[in-house]
Amino acid sequence: MKLAVFVSDYRLTVDTLDRLTADKLGIILVGNGVYHASIKDKGKASSLLDKSAEFYALSEDLDSRGLGSKDIADNVKVVNYAGVVDLIFNDYEKLAWL
Amino acid sequence: MATTNLGFIVQRPPYKSENPKLALTHAIASQSVEVYLEDGDIVTCDIAFVGDGVLNCLKDQKAADIYGLTSTETQVKMALLLDINVLICKEDLDRFGLSEDDIVIDAEEFGADIETKVVPYAEIAAMMEESKHLLFF
Repeated sequence: MKLAVFVSDYRLTVDTLDRLTADKLGIILVGNGVYHASIKDKGKASSLLDKSAEFYALSEDLDSRGLGSKDIADNVKVVNYAGVVDLIFNDYEKLAWL
Repeated sequence: MATTNLGFIVQRPPYKSENPKLALTHAIASQSVEVYLEDGDIVTCDIAFVGDGVLNCLKDQKAADIYGLTSTETQVKMALLLDINVLICKEDLDRFGLSEDDIVIDAEEFGADIETKVVPYAEIAAMMEESKHLLFF
C-alpha cells in the first residue's frame, strides 16, 4: 500500500505514525506540522524526520509562519498546494490525517 | 482608584488553533475597557510567549497573503502600539536556536514606542506572580 500521512501538529503526544505500515510511506507536513521541517529543538531536528519515509512540507504553511524555505531539512521536499494534489492523485493510494 | 493587572501566557504555536490569536485579541481588547471602569481605575496587561508559543513571534509571517488572516506578527505589533508589555522567553528562543534577529522586536511602522522584551523565564514567573488574573492559552 502507498500511504500518505498528513501531519498537522508540531508536538505529537501519541506517535500514531509508528503504528502505520506501508510499502511506501509519505509524510506531508501541513499546518503546524511544518515546524518539524524547519525548527530545531535544542539543536536537534525533529525525530519525526528519522522515520523511513518521503517527506514533503507545504510551502504556503511555511510562508505563513515566517519560515519560508530557509533551514528546511535536507530530506524534506517543499511543495505547494498543486504539488500536494499531484502527490494525492499520482503517488499515493491512501491518505491519513493526523 | 484601582489597578487590575492581567497576565496572558501563550504556550502554543500559531494558526492551528484559535488559542494564540485569542490571547492576543483579548490582551489588545483589555486596553479599551475604560468605558466600563470607574474614574481612575485602570487595567494593565502583560503578554508572555513561552515554550512553543515563542514561534508566534517569528518575523516575515505571510498569513494575510495565504490564509486571509491577520498574522500573529501583526497582532504582536498592535499590542506594542497599545503599550502592552510583551515578554518572550529567552530560554525557549535559545532552545529553538532563534535569536532577536528572527523575531518581532518593534513596530516602528505602526508608530509604537515600545519593543518586545526577550527575558529569562524567571522574569515571566515574576510577572505571573504580580498579575491579579492569569490567562493561559
